[in-house]
Amino acid sequence: MVDTSAITLSENRAVERARIRKERVRSSLIDLIVTLGTIMIALLIGFIVTLAVGKEPIKAYTALLTGPLSQVNRLGNWIQDATTLILIGLSVSIAFQARQFNLGAEGSLLVGALTAAVVALYVPLPPVLGIVVPLLAAMTAGFLVALIPGWMKAYLNANEVVSTLMINAIIANLYQYLLINFLTPEGDNVRRSALLPATSAFPLLADIFNANLGRANLAIVLVLIAVIAVWVLMRRTSFGYEVRMIGANEKFARYGGINTRRVIMLSFAIGGAVAAIGGVHLALGVHNRLILGISAGLGFEGIVVAMLARNNPLLVPITGLFYSYLRIGGDIMERTASVGAEIVQVIQAVIILLITAQFVIEFVRARRNTSGTSSSRTAAVSDATAVPSEQSRRNI
Amino acid sequence: MESVLQVIFSAVFVSTILRVSTPLILPALGGLIAELGGVPNIALEGMMLTAACAGVLVSAYTQSEWLGLLAGVLLAEIMALILGFFHLNLKADIILVGLALNILASGATIFVVYLLTGDKGSSSKLVSLQMPTVDIPFIKDIPVLGEILSGQNLLTYVAFIATGLVWLFLYRTRPGIHVRAVGENPDAARSVGINVTAMRYLALLMSGFLAALGGIHLSMGYVKFFQRDMTAGRGFIALAAVYLGAKHPVGTLIAAVVFGAADALSIQLGNLKIPSQLVQMIPYVVTVASLILYAVVRKRQAAARQRKFQQASL
Amino acid sequence: MIEMRDITKVYPNGVRANREVSFEIKAGEIHALVGENGAGKSTLMKILYGVERPSAGQIYLKGKPVRINTEHEAIALGIGMVFQSFMLVPSFTIAQNVVLGNEPVHGALLDNRAAINATSELAKQYGLVVDPSAIVDSVPVGMRQRVEILKALYRGADVLILDEPTAVLTPQETRELFAAIRQLVKTGKTVIFISHKLREVMEISNRVSVMRDGQMVGTVDTKDATETSLARMMVGREVFQQYDKPPVNRGAAVLQARDLEYVNEAGRQVLRGVSFNAYAGEILGIAGVEGNGQTELVEVLTGLRVAVGGTIKLGDSDITSRSAREVRQAGVAHIPEDRLNNGVALTASIEENLIVDRYSKPPFSRAGFTSLAAMVKNGETMIEQYAIRAPDGALPVGSLSGGNMQKVVVARELSANPQLLIAAQPTRGVDIGATEFMHQQLIQQRTNGVAVLLISADLAEVMALSDRLAVMHNGQIVAIFPDARGLSEEEVGLYMLGVQLQTQAEIEKNW
Repeated sequence: MVDTSAITLSENRAVERARIRKERVRSSLIDLIVTLGTIMIALLIGFIVTLAVGKEPIKAYTALLTGPLSQVNRLGNWIQDATTLILIGLSVSIAFQARQFNLGAEGSLLVGALTAAVVALYVPLPPVLGIVVPLLAAMTAGFLVALIPGWMKAYLNANEVVSTLMINAIIANLYQYLLINFLTPEGDNVRRSALLPATSAFPLLADIFNANLGRANLAIVLVLIAVIAVWVLMRRTSFGYEVRMIGANEKFARYGGINTRRVIMLSFAIGGAVAAIGGVHLALGVHNRLILGISAGLGFEGIVVAMLARNNPLLVPITGLFYSYLRIGGDIMERTASVGAEIVQVIQAVIILLITAQFVIEFVRARRNTSGTSSSRTAAVSDATAVPSEQSRRNI
Repeated sequence: MESVLQVIFSAVFVSTILRVSTPLILPALGGLIAELGGVPNIALEGMMLTAACAGVLVSAYTQSEWLGLLAGVLLAEIMALILGFFHLNLKADIILVGLALNILASGATIFVVYLLTGDKGSSSKLVSLQMPTVDIPFIKDIPVLGEILSGQNLLTYVAFIATGLVWLFLYRTRPGIHVRAVGENPDAARSVGINVTAMRYLALLMSGFLAALGGIHLSMGYVKFFQRDMTAGRGFIALAAVYLGAKHPVGTLIAAVVFGAADALSIQLGNLKIPSQLVQMIPYVVTVASLILYAVVRKRQAAARQRKFQQASL
Repeated sequence: MIEMRDITKVYPNGVRANREVSFEIKAGEIHALVGENGAGKSTLMKILYGVERPSAGQIYLKGKPVRINTEHEAIALGIGMVFQSFMLVPSFTIAQNVVLGNEPVHGALLDNRAAINATSELAKQYGLVVDPSAIVDSVPVGMRQRVEILKALYRGADVLILDEPTAVLTPQETRELFAAIRQLVKTGKTVIFISHKLREVMEISNRVSVMRDGQMVGTVDTKDATETSLARMMVGREVFQQYDKPPVNRGAAVLQARDLEYVNEAGRQVLRGVSFNAYAGEILGIAGVEGNGQTELVEVLTGLRVAVGGTIKLGDSDITSRSAREVRQAGVAHIPEDRLNNGVALTASIEENLIVDRYSKPPFSRAGFTSLAAMVKNGETMIEQYAIRAPDGALPVGSLSGGNMQKVVVARELSANPQLLIAAQPTRGVDIGATEFMHQQLIQQRTNGVAVLLISADLAEVMALSDRLAVMHNGQIVAIFPDARGLSEEEVGLYMLGVQLQTQAEIEKNW
């Protein structure tokens, strides 16, 4: 021990480090394989369900799996749907990283859509500002609305699952009420707002590329910005560090001097602001107005997207695109086989079940670790489930 | 205003409250047992939906409402077992598993209804049955009271009786007190030989049973058809009733009836051109407010204890 | 009655907690099992109670070999154990807790009356005063402990293992407990009393077994033993040797705590007017039986709780009711009591764990943006400097051994260059090598002019390190000794147990 020279020590360390790097690469490879495996299993189960329909199941399933790429306008639908999903997935991933079960994305999205549309309708704005001002207003509104359950959780220790679900319901009713009673123009038989002014509409990709890309629009630029912004926020700022430390061990964060209450509250609120962008995209980009049922349960879909991405902001676009591909594929399948959206729901449920159980991952790891030499502890810890703990929600 | 009061004080209205409260009381009681057992059941919604669907389909094909009921209960119990298996055995997060089951139920019910009827929206092509209504002798002849208390659906009576039984179970039976012990301090329960996992399965199964009854009432109580996503969030309202009711059976019953009343009011006021959305919002606002109030009061109490000490020491 | 022969316990991580331990208990005796923290007495008893399984060895009950795989099997064999952390359901009544798992029923329903009767009868029989219909949440700790004993008796325990039962009790409650133990033995029960408080052991036991480093040193009749002889057996060297350290070079008062009062959420007053100073270049030890307010004192001082009354001054600035961050920035470092739960985040990397107190300051953060390079470099430096055995700072702390996790905490807190270092139970759960490391670090800090506040329930530890020694009992400072050298356990122990206290003037003189 004593006469080990410094050189061999540092050499050993270098070797050790190389081994760990390799280990880590393999570990993330396994993550990837398991995730893909999960998806494959889910798709397989979806296929078995399709078989039950009886009518040309292969054709139906082909529609699901290749449909979105078969026509340009379907490609447009895919881009458009993914835009919202990615934003919601980002929103969910923020609070999830602090191990907070924020299910409020749905509400924030509605508030975002509502605010953006109202501002666009009632405030005359020049081009560019016509988008920027409603966007900022919507983000502020989404932020403030999400602040409520965040405050309730952080300062009152009120169960966030219940509070966010309740607040979602309140907002959904409020949205309907305002839309039907104040925003629907007289004489319109459909309950929807007036068309928004052209200055407040996101330019359509269809016009830019001169191709039939449906309602896909320039909001995809916002998605790119949001992905990078959330990544920077979570991985390269003090706030992100605080959120991650709270997620890793809240007591430790408190002990280290982090104002855990404030950070938890803000993690809800920032998630709200991001989800609101999704609402802006729907109101200003996709529909150009407010319609009933504009969100259609997207808030919950965002959970799958975030979970598949293991809350990593950079992976959210990939999982969002993937998941939205399935959704659009389901719609197309519906037209061929009359069954579609339901199968996508089944696939979604299976994915969540498999990912939450984590048993696949642990099973693979355990197998490998008994045969290999690496420490099982490292692997187990490095991949602790990326969802809020039960403990964090037990108290109300 | 007068007409509003007329609505509220009419026997029909009170009777409506009882009716619309039923599919809230039953799942709320189920949610309560699960909550007290330490396994919050987010899947109430999906369990109700599945039971509602299965009940209609089986009753339509067998022409037996009782087989329909049985089928609904069985399927909800299978979901409870899945929830338990993933959470208790595979250590998955119970909230996420619950959400997955809700999604699954929503998709699978539409799918099955479509397979059997070719219609995706509802089961209206099938002739399904209803659970019987019950006329209570003597009471049914009393004016007003008879109109309210008699002639309700069987499950409405079951809901109220279930409240008493759930109370009895939780506070006066051995398995009930074990469920509560397991929810509050699993280590303590384990140390005296109580099987924590088994008790949590029991809580989930009972929860599933009650949710199923609630679902059956939706599709086989007042109406006799299944409609896609017909639970419309009742499973979540039931969960709110558990919290609003301070996690006690009687409190939960009261909270569920209050939510039912708000629902009934919005139905009645719809005729009077009062926006139903605002009325329907009330239960949620009340729940959020009560969550806040409860927490604030508790904080105040703690602070008061500290203050009391300060004053005493001055 | 019970014989444990050649018990060896090796944990999966390689720690040998028991090495060929043999232990015999006679029916109807009060048998004390003593040893320092980590001597292996808890492990031995957990094996007897079926919580742990021995790696080798055999247990005999009344001469017959038995295998105890679970605590239920232990209970069935008439062995009951009362742990330090109680296993009670707070919202249930005492009677409900006593009968839990084995409730009397009347038909299908619980017979609450029978439960209450059974509880009060047992309580009367063994002199364990409880109110059977009171809610556990609302009764004091002493009564909760009696509930635990009643639980074991209700299940037919003939042998009761009490794991450091007096640790959470007031002197009054301890006296009551001892009376109850004597009553239990009179009615034919056997009691195993785990403790490291020799005074109590001398008072209550018939025989004493002493463990050290996982081995059984010996068993003696209490009447043939003295505290000193037991102490020698326990530590195997002269008690309370002071470390060799340079003479005190006492500087200014860094910390001035005055009249600190704290009332916990349950409304119990935990700190009752705590006052003292901590000086630069000096280790002030605070000795005391655990649960006498030390945990709360540390949390109040470090900004994790807000005092109900009193003031805290750090240097010239008032830091009363400041946040944890403000307190840290004022120059206070804190090695927490429960390091593995509070001092590190297991899933976060070593590098991240090392900056939790400074991530928002340059060079780690500029204008809110973090510098990974600075974090990595800091991690490398710390790993090198504090000899943390980790190949890479990017690894999660959870992948390190227990001792190296402790080093991560120490590295972070010491490298903060504090004016005041608060170390709470610094060597709890730490092996001998790491203890030595920790102690040397504390001494070095003190010699470098840092004010060190050492809170420890391990008397040997505080005595070995402290320059000045305060004793805490029941939320108060009951004594301050200006020079810790040459103090005996008897002297300090009397104060710790609240038997003796200095006058206010004596204490103030040595603030």
